[in-house]
Amino acid sequence: MKKTKKYSIERRQARWGFAFTIPCLVFFAIFAFYPIISAFITSLTNRKAISRNFSFVGLENYIYIFTKGNGGYSLLNSLRATLEFTIGTFIPMVVVSLFVAVLLSQLRKPGHSKFYELCFYTPAVLSSVVAATIWMILFQPTGLVNQMSNFLMMTSGRDYQWLTSNTMLQISTMIVYFWKYIGYFTILFITGLASIPSTLYEAALVDGSSRWHSFWHITLPLLKPTVVLVSIMAMLQCLKTFSTQYMFVQGGTARAPIDVITMNIYFTGVNNGYLGRASAMSIVLFLIMLVFTALQFKFQSGDDVDY
Amino acid sequence: MKNQFVGKISVGEVLSYVFLTIVLVFCILPLIFMLTAAFMDAKQIMSMPYTWIPSSKYFTTSTRTFFTNFQKAIVGNHGDNIFFRNLFNSLIVATVCAMTTVFLASLCGFGLAKYKFKGQKAVFMAIMSTMMIPFEAIMIPLYLVATKMKIINTIPGLIIPFLVSAFGVFQMRQYLITFPTEYLDAARVDGMGEFGIYSRIVLPNSTPVIATLAILSFRNQWDNLLWPLLCSQAEKMKTIPLYISKFAEEKQTDEGALMACALLASIPMFILFFSMSKYFLGGAAVYDSRKG
Amino acid sequence: MKKLLVALCALALMVLPLFAQGGSETAVDDSKPITIEFWTHEDAARQALEEKYIAEYTAQHPNVTINVTRQSAEKLRELIQTAFAAGQGPTFFNLPIENEYQYIEAGRVAPADYKTLGFDNAKDLISSYADGMIDAVVYDGDVYGLPLETTNWSIFLNKKVFRDAGLDPETDYPKTWEEMVEVSKKIVVRDGDIITRRGFDFRYSYELTYFVPMVEQLGGSLDAEKGCVNEEAWVKALQFMKEWGPSGNNLGNPTLTAARKLFNKDNNDIAMANTGLYQEARILSDNPDFYNSGEWMVVPYPVFEDAVNDVAGCYYGHFYMVNADASKEEQKVAWDIIKYFLLTEGHAEEYLTNVGLIQPTNALMNSETYKNMPYSDVFSGDFARSHIVYYKKGATAIQSAINTAIKSVMLQGVEPKDAYKTLQTAVMEILED
Repeated sequence: MKKTKKYSIERRQARWGFAFTIPCLVFFAIFAFYPIISAFITSLTNRKAISRNFSFVGLENYIYIFTKGNGGYSLLNSLRATLEFTIGTFIPMVVVSLFVAVLLSQLRKPGHSKFYELCFYTPAVLSSVVAATIWMILFQPTGLVNQMSNFLMMTSGRDYQWLTSNTMLQISTMIVYFWKYIGYFTILFITGLASIPSTLYEAALVDGSSRWHSFWHITLPLLKPTVVLVSIMAMLQCLKTFSTQYMFVQGGTARAPIDVITMNIYFTGVNNGYLGRASAMSIVLFLIMLVFTALQFKFQSGDDVDY
Repeated sequence: MKNQFVGKISVGEVLSYVFLTIVLVFCILPLIFMLTAAFMDAKQIMSMPYTWIPSSKYFTTSTRTFFTNFQKAIVGNHGDNIFFRNLFNSLIVATVCAMTTVFLASLCGFGLAKYKFKGQKAVFMAIMSTMMIPFEAIMIPLYLVATKMKIINTIPGLIIPFLVSAFGVFQMRQYLITFPTEYLDAARVDGMGEFGIYSRIVLPNSTPVIATLAILSFRNQWDNLLWPLLCSQAEKMKTIPLYISKFAEEKQTDEGALMACALLASIPMFILFFSMSKYFLGGAAVYDSRKG
Repeated sequence: MKKLLVALCALALMVLPLFAQGGSETAVDDSKPITIEFWTHEDAARQALEEKYIAEYTAQHPNVTINVTRQSAEKLRELIQTAFAAGQGPTFFNLPIENEYQYIEAGRVAPADYKTLGFDNAKDLISSYADGMIDAVVYDGDVYGLPLETTNWSIFLNKKVFRDAGLDPETDYPKTWEEMVEVSKKIVVRDGDIITRRGFDFRYSYELTYFVPMVEQLGGSLDAEKGCVNEEAWVKALQFMKEWGPSGNNLGNPTLTAARKLFNKDNNDIAMANTGLYQEARILSDNPDFYNSGEWMVVPYPVFEDAVNDVAGCYYGHFYMVNADASKEEQKVAWDIIKYFLLTEGHAEEYLTNVGLIQPTNALMNSETYKNMPYSDVFSGDFARSHIVYYKKGATAIQSAINTAIKSVMLQGVEPKDAYKTLQTAVMEILED
């Protein structure tokens, strides 16, 4: 085959390849890039929802959100709330779901492990609104969670303040999230485990290694890419959390302890109508997420393991 | 490895089962609570300790039955049975979005995975970067776009902004990267066009990942609260999450009716889940192929 | 489904040109089709009534289509704001005045069409309402809205719960906030720390309506220039809230089921709730047995023992307003519909008896219908010693800042002094913005 002809076929194919991506590109241009650019421009103005006129104010909104209180709900507090929620949720989630996945993969009756998987995953099927509605009732002082707390702590009639005290409220939102996604992340790890060839285990067992030893020295290192990927995914999801906190606040809890960035954006922009300021917060969140994603891609491309 | 411990139950195994069962109880108990509370009078739900079996002795009115909560949930705040219409809307929106996501994401993913063209990496990164845009950040500009398109308060208005997701493109690309290139070349030799290759070779051979992606986007739309909140204004254009949150605010709604409403609204998802659980649970299969 | 989409598109196409047209006719034109968007908040009893009016109106004016959107109160506020931001507001709508006033200031709503409403001018319209009742919507001499309701809150009381706690409702009902605490202590039932019956609980998240008057009783105030005036009064009122909550006497808190929601059920779990006359219509529809038993009553809004001002809970209003961006024709029709809703002979009485809403016209306030509403005298009495809720600059944001302050002292162990400082800083930031 002549070189030139091959070249032109490749070019023809390349055009097709690009053509296949056009519908998505057009879609994202309209429904993602345009809005985010528009949000960026708005972030440079003093635009409010109701007023007709607005003017460009440069970086004033950015300075405001980092130095002022935003009517009692500062961005710094939101960064704190988001960070605490993210760390408090994704670390237990990754640890527990990894542990559960390892235990499930060790069960000798596949039927049993399927049954457990099915049950663990079921909460993920519920919508966030339903999940928050159920838990709001469970967390009431008269609710089931408080009853169980009393039972486990061997107290009686104590109000553990699941929705009222600062720390407990934060823990409550973490529990709802943990509950909803534990099954999902377990499945991710199970898939990761399944892709590790069992010949490796067998070799290890012939060597006389204990199961624990083989987990620690064989499984875990091989699972590292999955762990990293899942952790970052979990972290990104936690950064974007909204519904649980929103439903809780609607139910009457304090906002400040669980005022995650997305919720602050929502209240500042949609509720109080400070569009410019809310847009500035959006851009900050966007940049934070971008950094994490860059990390994700870095880990992904650098951490591939050949079995 | 399989046969080594047959007949013996090790301590470790017992501990595994104990731990897994604790997690299982944690996952399932709130669901059982929802199921049982849906039949109860609010008085019973709030009485301590929680009695798991619905009982008529807590009924506060003579006309009450075990199904009163469900009647309230369906009849709605105004006795107009809008529940079914809202349920129907949710089903339509979620189904259409699932279908378009599968189509557009697989097409784009195929283009990115199996072709080489200038700016490919840029296209991929651009699409990935949209994954990082939190919806709350673009909600208001998006509303402006939708108003310009005159799709506010219509079913297309609920669908169009979610025709495809960046995550879907990502999933499809990662999966298709491992798709054997020989098949494609063989088809080309047979004279098949590029779109034909996509629709007749790639799509039919990607059913597991397509099913997984379809389910994921169905679930995301089923769960969507914020956009319908802005976009659907007429009662008959609302979706189920909106119905629940509105129902929850109505003054005469009590915990029991709320749980009945939540339960009813979850039934379609439960049916989908239990009938197609292998695709749900295989949901992560895509990541097998992340080496690429 | 496809058919529906086609129909929707066709409808949209048909309706579109209408928005572009402007009209300058003086009478409502009955020949051209016209679509009116009407957005309002959820209220089952009012919906029934207004749907009847809409059916009657569209029967008389077959060219008019009225699309109604009903949302929960909170969602409605957000939705209208977002729609206005996108330049797509409804033709007419209603919101509480503290959220609605900014629309007048920003020029987003149109002055009343006096001719269409059947008045000579603004003065004529104002004088048909009780003194000062629509001052809030008068701006530069024009009236910008017509009141759907003006509402103040008194205390609803369940006599059975009182007797169950060994109290006589007729004499032992709380006249002061201090008595409110004492009475509630007697009524409250707890299992350990867990409250299973409350005496009274506040209506959290409407702080401008219930809490600011408490501050005013102690000599403080909320000022559109100076923010939270009189630190001592604010701190004292916050201290009262702190003692009410779980870290004090543990009589109630914002995360428990809303008091007025439980009140109608008559389940022996709440004795008193803070709400408006419309609650009577809701009790009747939720629980007719309870309504007819006569086991409930209404008592005046309490004051502090050492109050320096005798102020009852603020009154607020919902006003029907018309979008200034709507075409002249649409505006005219909108005002005509509003007129049909509110000013038609006998409608005000129906709003009162069916929904429990008071439209403060001179005619209604002096009518037998009003006087015959149970306990309307109590509401009138409280009305006389109340004033309109703060509705000026930043009202929405200030309300949520006060809400935060209250939750921080009640739930998060913040000292009232510190909570006040944070609050005042936040309020001043909002006002200076």
